[in-house]
Amino acid sequence: MTEYMIEVDEVSKTFGEVTAVDGVSLYVPRGTVTGLLGHNGAGKTTLVNVLSTVLPVTSGSAKVAGFDVTAQAAEVRRRIGLTGQFAAVDELLTGHENLVLIARLLGASGKEARQRADELLEIFDLTDAAHRKAKTYSGGMKRRLDLASSLIGHPQVIFLDEPTTGLDPIARTGLWEVVENLVADGTTVLLTTQYLDEADRLADSITVLSEGSVVASGTAAELKAQVGSRTVAVKVADRGDTRLALLALTEAGLHPVHDEERHTISAPATASTDLAVAVRALDAAHIEVAELALTEPTLDDVYLNLNAAPAA
Amino acid sequence: MTTTINTVEEHLKPQPATEPRWQGAQFLTQVAVMTGRSLKALKDPRMILMAMFQPLIMLTLFSQVFKSMTQTPAFQAQYPGVDYINFLLPAILMTTGVQAAMWSGGGLANDLKNGVLNRFRAMPVSMLSVLIGRSLYDVVRNAIQLSVLAIAATVVLGYRGSLTGTVAAIALSLFVGWGVSWLFLALATWLRNVEVMQMVGMMAIFPLMFASSAYVPLDGLPGWLRVVAQVNPLSYAVDAGRGLALGTAELAPFLNAAGIAAAFAVIGMVFAARGIRKP
Ligand SMILES: Nc1ncnc2c1ncn2[C@@H]1O[C@H](COP(=O)(O)OP(=O)(O)OP(=O)(O)O)[C@@H](O)[C@H]1O
Ligand SMILES: [Mg+2]
Repeated sequence: MTEYMIEVDEVSKTFGEVTAVDGVSLYVPRGTVTGLLGHNGAGKTTLVNVLSTVLPVTSGSAKVAGFDVTAQAAEVRRRIGLTGQFAAVDELLTGHENLVLIARLLGASGKEARQRADELLEIFDLTDAAHRKAKTYSGGMKRRLDLASSLIGHPQVIFLDEPTTGLDPIARTGLWEVVENLVADGTTVLLTTQYLDEADRLADSITVLSEGSVVASGTAAELKAQVGSRTVAVKVADRGDTRLALLALTEAGLHPVHDEERHTISAPATASTDLAVAVRALDAAHIEVAELALTEPTLDDVYLNLNAAPAA
Repeated sequence: MTTTINTVEEHLKPQPATEPRWQGAQFLTQVAVMTGRSLKALKDPRMILMAMFQPLIMLTLFSQVFKSMTQTPAFQAQYPGVDYINFLLPAILMTTGVQAAMWSGGGLANDLKNGVLNRFRAMPVSMLSVLIGRSLYDVVRNAIQLSVLAIAATVVLGYRGSLTGTVAAIALSLFVGWGVSWLFLALATWLRNVEVMQMVGMMAIFPLMFASSAYVPLDGLPGWLRVVAQVNPLSYAVDAGRGLALGTAELAPFLNAAGIAAAFAVIGMVFAARGIRKP
């Protein structure tokens, strides 16, 4: 039996003429991460705002932590944490004051609030900056303070709207680890992102939005299989070997194509052994290789593929 | 296409009750916390000093420039034997209180740009507490400003109103300013623009300030201006405050001023509470 912490049934949200979310259905089991993938304007933020009770739904219904977002908004708000696309911290307060403020509003006593604030400052490595105004924080520090603020009340469901946009690679990995720890503790997460690798790393299930509608959903593996998976990309050292390489790869069972401009041969990799197959084939034909890589499909590949294929 | 969606029966199953760690603060606690948040701004006295600059200048200049007004028949008929500074200070208290209401709107418009307000919308927090907190902060700030004005007038300019009368005039100015501030708070939640708020405030308040009994007795104003001043609610408020300070208080202007301010507060609260929920 699966217990769903987020249940979205045919939800639409319009702003005047614009339909930002168009009949989306989505189910997120407890203790799992669902990634909402989509380009600018796909409707990710709007859906997150509807589910976190910030915006009213236009039609359809949604439940979060078992409560209806329209009729039981107050119950929902007690159980969620929202890290919006833009940092929701008070820049005129210090980091510590920000966290205490939120904790007090959630109903913590002054003492509990200060304790919880110190705890989270420690976890997010902000102890040194605790008593500085948030205005003086770097983008990454603000983002961490923002996330810490959303976690104060031990929420059961967390919404993260593009949490790593604008973070450096180290901060990005750090944030991923925080999310993984939360999920290990049983928290349910809905995360929006424009990066397939982020969804791949964190999400148990991915939903792809385009122009407000769900165009694909499934696990990362399922989506990739659908997209034609990854590609083996080869650059031969001597351009004269190009024809020979194409032949060798074709004989090995791959379907290589040559990109003249970028001087690259690429072939869709359908099985995990395809890279090894390519190496062996090229080696056997005594072709000197300058570069050889297995490239991940990007969100663009997903879109291209979905637009090419008839919509499901 | 493969999806992770399971059967309908499964997700309709009742969910076990899960209790959050904290239930959300009581409304009064929310208001206290929000007021405290706004009051942090008082740590920086520059804002208060800036806002005091204009009324102090007006108080000083007018008390010198218009001193001879006490010789006019209109003044002597209405306020026999009253020093101009005693006539002027209660009016400045009232106009400063009402001007502070205008600053209130600008302050909220500025606060609405603060990201943390978006967080509150997804929390078990009443957005009304944000407004009330803001409004209480404005009352505190205004009380400080009006007290400083009264003290400066007494020490430097020879103001000699009765203490209780002056305190009562300050209290009435605070109440009227508070009532009017709700109109500007409501406007701010819909306009959300500091510059526009300041423009609207200037345009609404400056004409009202001068076309009133604030600086010249009603009978001393030229014809059409007197007509405007007679219906200007600010005139009632000024007359009421002046009556309290001079010890000649009448009930009618007092009730008028307090009643209009209370009505403004109610109307403003309704619209502000609706406007502020919009993200
Ligand atoms: N308040 C609003 N009023 C009018 N239109 C809006 C409003 N908010 C969003 N939209 C429109 O709804 C659509 C979806 O916007 P949304 O912000 O949800 O996209 P997104 O997927 O979060 O994009 P991004 O990656 O840029 O954050 C866009 O076309 C946007 O212009
Ligand atoms: Mg967005």
